[in-house]
Amino acid sequence: MSDSTPHGMHEGPAVGQDEWVARHAERRIMRQGPLGDLETRLRRVPWWAWLVLFIAVFSLLPVVESSGYVRQVAFDTVLYMLLALGLNVVVGWGGLLDLGYVAFYGIGAYAYALLASPHYGIHLPFFLAIPAVTLIGALVGFLLGLPSWRLTGDYLAIVTLFFLQLFQTIATNASSITGGPFGILNVDPLGAFGHNLAPQHEGVFAVSYLYVALLVFAIVFVALRLLNHSRTGRAWRSLREDPLAAEAMGMPVNRLKLMSFAFGSAVAALTGTLYASLNGSVFPLTFYFVLLITVYTMVILGGSGSQAGVVAGAIIIGPLLELLRDGSKSRVIFFVALVLALGLASSRSRRLALVALSTLVLGFVLHAIAGGIDSDWVAGEHQGGFAGVVDYWVISPAHLARWIPPVSYIGVIVAVLVCTMLRGRWRLVALVPTLYLAAFVWENVMLSKPEPARYIVLGLVLIALMILRPNGLLGERRVEIV
Amino acid sequence: MKKAIALAIAVLTTSVVAASAQGSQTVAAKAAAGYSCSKTITLPFITPITGGAGFLGAEQMSWAKYAVKTLAPGLGLKVKLVGEDTPVEQGATPANAVAQKVIGDSSVLALLGPSTSGDVAATAKVFYSAHLAHISPSATRTDFTQGATKEEYPTFFRDVPGDYIQGPTDANFMIKNLHVKKVVIMDFQEPYSLGLASSVDSILKKAGVSTIRLSAPNTTTDYSAYVTKVPGDADIVFFPTQKPGDAQTFAQQLIEQGKKAKVFGGDGSNDATQFKQPGSYVSNFAPDITGIAADAKLIAGWKKDNPGKSVGSFGPPSYGATQILLNAIKIACTKGHGTATRQSVLQNVKKVKIKNWILGGSFKWSTKSNDPLNAKFYIFQIQSNGSYKLVG
Amino acid sequence: MDTFIQLTIDALTLGSVYALIALGYTLVYGVLKLLNFAHGDVFMVGSFAGYGTFQVLGGSNPKVPLWLFLTLVTLAAMAACAGLGVVIERFAYRPLRDAPRIAPLISALGVSFFLSNSMQLLFGAAPRNYDTFDIHNAVLYTSGFDIGDVHMPLLRVITIVAAFVLMVVLWFLVNKTRTGKAMRATSFDREAAAMMGIDIDKVIVFTFVLGSALAGAAGVFFALRVPTTVSIGFVAGLKGFTAAVIGGIGSIPGAMAGGLILGFAESYTQGYISTQWSDLFVFSLLVAFMIFRPQGLLGRADIRKV
Repeated sequence: MSDSTPHGMHEGPAVGQDEWVARHAERRIMRQGPLGDLETRLRRVPWWAWLVLFIAVFSLLPVVESSGYVRQVAFDTVLYMLLALGLNVVVGWGGLLDLGYVAFYGIGAYAYALLASPHYGIHLPFFLAIPAVTLIGALVGFLLGLPSWRLTGDYLAIVTLFFLQLFQTIATNASSITGGPFGILNVDPLGAFGHNLAPQHEGVFAVSYLYVALLVFAIVFVALRLLNHSRTGRAWRSLREDPLAAEAMGMPVNRLKLMSFAFGSAVAALTGTLYASLNGSVFPLTFYFVLLITVYTMVILGGSGSQAGVVAGAIIIGPLLELLRDGSKSRVIFFVALVLALGLASSRSRRLALVALSTLVLGFVLHAIAGGIDSDWVAGEHQGGFAGVVDYWVISPAHLARWIPPVSYIGVIVAVLVCTMLRGRWRLVALVPTLYLAAFVWENVMLSKPEPARYIVLGLVLIALMILRPNGLLGERRVEIV
Repeated sequence: MKKAIALAIAVLTTSVVAASAQGSQTVAAKAAAGYSCSKTITLPFITPITGGAGFLGAEQMSWAKYAVKTLAPGLGLKVKLVGEDTPVEQGATPANAVAQKVIGDSSVLALLGPSTSGDVAATAKVFYSAHLAHISPSATRTDFTQGATKEEYPTFFRDVPGDYIQGPTDANFMIKNLHVKKVVIMDFQEPYSLGLASSVDSILKKAGVSTIRLSAPNTTTDYSAYVTKVPGDADIVFFPTQKPGDAQTFAQQLIEQGKKAKVFGGDGSNDATQFKQPGSYVSNFAPDITGIAADAKLIAGWKKDNPGKSVGSFGPPSYGATQILLNAIKIACTKGHGTATRQSVLQNVKKVKIKNWILGGSFKWSTKSNDPLNAKFYIFQIQSNGSYKLVG
Repeated sequence: MDTFIQLTIDALTLGSVYALIALGYTLVYGVLKLLNFAHGDVFMVGSFAGYGTFQVLGGSNPKVPLWLFLTLVTLAAMAACAGLGVVIERFAYRPLRDAPRIAPLISALGVSFFLSNSMQLLFGAAPRNYDTFDIHNAVLYTSGFDIGDVHMPLLRVITIVAAFVLMVVLWFLVNKTRTGKAMRATSFDREAAAMMGIDIDKVIVFTFVLGSALAGAAGVFFALRVPTTVSIGFVAGLKGFTAAVIGGIGSIPGAMAGGLILGFAESYTQGYISTQWSDLFVFSLLVAFMIFRPQGLLGRADIRKV
């Protein structure tokens, strides 16, 4: 989704814009040949066509797959997409590190639950409840944003993180209002005048909610895009790039910060209503640190600042986390990711093939040796994807001695770190045992504990992205003027 | 370009219409459709296997696994136990996804869990709509089987007594056997402890015992400030934690500050390796099964599969729940001449009786609710050598 | 009165641990202007490293004299954490030293998440208890001295005194050694210090070694009294940072004062007001400080250079 300039503006940069900066896109080296041609054509497709196409494809999903599970995961992914869009406003556009973001999601869910459940006997129709909750989210975001006019980045981060902790404290302790740890049950599904949109049809996730969520997503996406291309959006950009210069130019810095906070919070609260109305219950722990890190990884992976990017991030991370729960799928993902990473790391395909081949050979040799010494060392069971191949390649002892997991795990970390320090041929040589050790650890240590393993992957993705590609998949590279 | 957009919009409309029309006949069909008993039956167990409560799910899984391994062949069933992980840190979100996964799988005829009361509350409706019987070996919240609310959980069963038995048992023991005058009652801002604490609190108050309520976040590790608030003349601190180590810390900190009160823990703190301060009390839904002669072989077999692990309080009821489900499936299969449906398994759960129940005696369902009949709680006192002695 | 004395003892124990954690934040922030979110998890790793050493040395039946036993456990945790700190700095923060400010913060979040989940993967979520109560018939709990009717157990005396000894050592290292001086110069103006021939990388590594070692010691002092789990890092980090801000981030005496203030605030709120809402109180304290005195108690006001 390129930021297309309006027609008639191609001749020169807008007033007040640096020409070198304005034209940086034009100086990119375009690819030649059919691929380059395709790229140029694709770039000409307007953003809204992409959006329609995307939603069309997404809405095909429940037609192809009738399983409630797939629909539920798809719905959760749309919620993630919405959350990522909202966070993008604060982090990507406003440039503020908001670590209390998921608290607003929680506030939205709780507010909806209080306005539409037997808890207080209030049953607002959705067309009143949703705007009300969104406003509440914006208002609380505004209030929390107030300290930000005295605080720079890190201080704000800690205040918002504490706010998240506070939200947890209130949600679990103010039992008379929030139901405490029991949560609020029997929340109304979306509805008005006694007609409700049932969340389940004979227990199976109702497809209508997926479409409602997609509709909300489309509206939020378009609204935010318009916002980003308005005066406010441009002001945010300048604020993020150089707050000092922006202030000197007479921009209302504080008001702008507050606005980005309020908009992000409103989107999160809106998403919360969808969550509460579908699940029919809200509990405090849903809105906590793990979710925060998940949404951050989505935004950073996709590219903070780019709407299409953060949506892509959500689509990758959401289902990935779900797939990693399942041992056999998670094995497939691991090996695919390994090959992909290798492909990205080395530009020359011959070297890549060499490394891959040596790793394969090393595996079979080690496996044969280990099996020859003691058959117990290779007697571990594998099930699911690639199991046949893996059976002959990765050593997996029938019983892991207690020292093996920590030693091999720390070993693989050290090996990876060493690889990053080596250069040239030595790196290739070191890569082979590292890869094999990684496969060993994945098979023997991580597959059996999917929960920490999933989050270790998230943590690693965050660190690696910040170092290797801070602009993510689709984010705009910052223009540095030296 | 315009053509492409028109096409996209057309696809969009068709898919929405198609998906809505298709509805979900599939599941109604799945509930009614027979499943051949000679095929492999999937038995999901919804429990926190990882995360902060991971020790609970791991223990439950190991016993359910052992039950499937030893009992299914004898009943002529091929059963695959699948652990569905619902870490408590993420609230009910994982349970919702897992529930959808389970009901969509036609090889599932019934399931174990959810283990936590929170997950039961979040998912019971889905299982009910899909006619799936689910037996929880640890969700003790009273609402599920008692009072008007039990209508909302018609397919929920449990093979352990609910909090409405544990609370009164503990409170009455304090009143009658310990003759308490003043009791401090803790809760940890999570459902299990809140339910128990309130139940004990109200009974003690009725009996004229003065009570002091303290509430700690579930993340608390240092209880020093709470111990300070325990009056010097308090007899008992009721401490319904799910973390046995915390009960131990509290007991030690009471001694450190020279308080005479003893800690009284619920079934969640029943772990002789971690909670071992002499003089403390523990209640549990089972007599220590290591003391039941009939279980000796069972325990030996389980220990062989789980070397180095000790028998805790959460495992054996999971064995029992698995045993009940396997038998219910067996009855349904026999009646259906080799095919069973979710509905038929559900109808036959309450027909199951077990002679040598792992928790001692025999097992029968209550006729009034989906609870075990005549279930009771046992109270132990910790001896100076760290062993648990049955006192009530 | 007894309650007051007891709460004060609690406050000192809590506060000395908070102060040690806060020092790590303050040192790193002073030099790098980086909020090291992973610091709380380094503290957690410290408590586990101490646990491992504790078990190796005989658990609750120590193989060596008690004083040596406790010293060895603490030193081992400090060493492990110092190493961990250096690795984190080298691989997660150094590549981002010239990146926009938000980048290392996000990387730090990643490190924090990575550490806590790695520990859970390897050691499980079950709590670990040092079982200091069982050492020589609870000598660490029953001996000590009495203030009025309140007993001050030996274990608490040891942790409080040890924490203060460590702080004095730190003060000496920062103020009286060459590297310490280089550190202060770097925190004052990194570029100018580099031009004066100070090896910035070395100074930063030194800072991480000091901060992380203190976190390791704090982890042991914490876990000697109560069980530790892999998830304690989050809240401990939050409290440590709050203490650093209250005292004035970047200021070493400030971090000590901030830790103690936080300990007192928390202990007295729990004792006299409410145990449930003490987090709320601490939060209000933090926000009040940030709004009315952002430079903290002892910090110097931030001069923005343009």
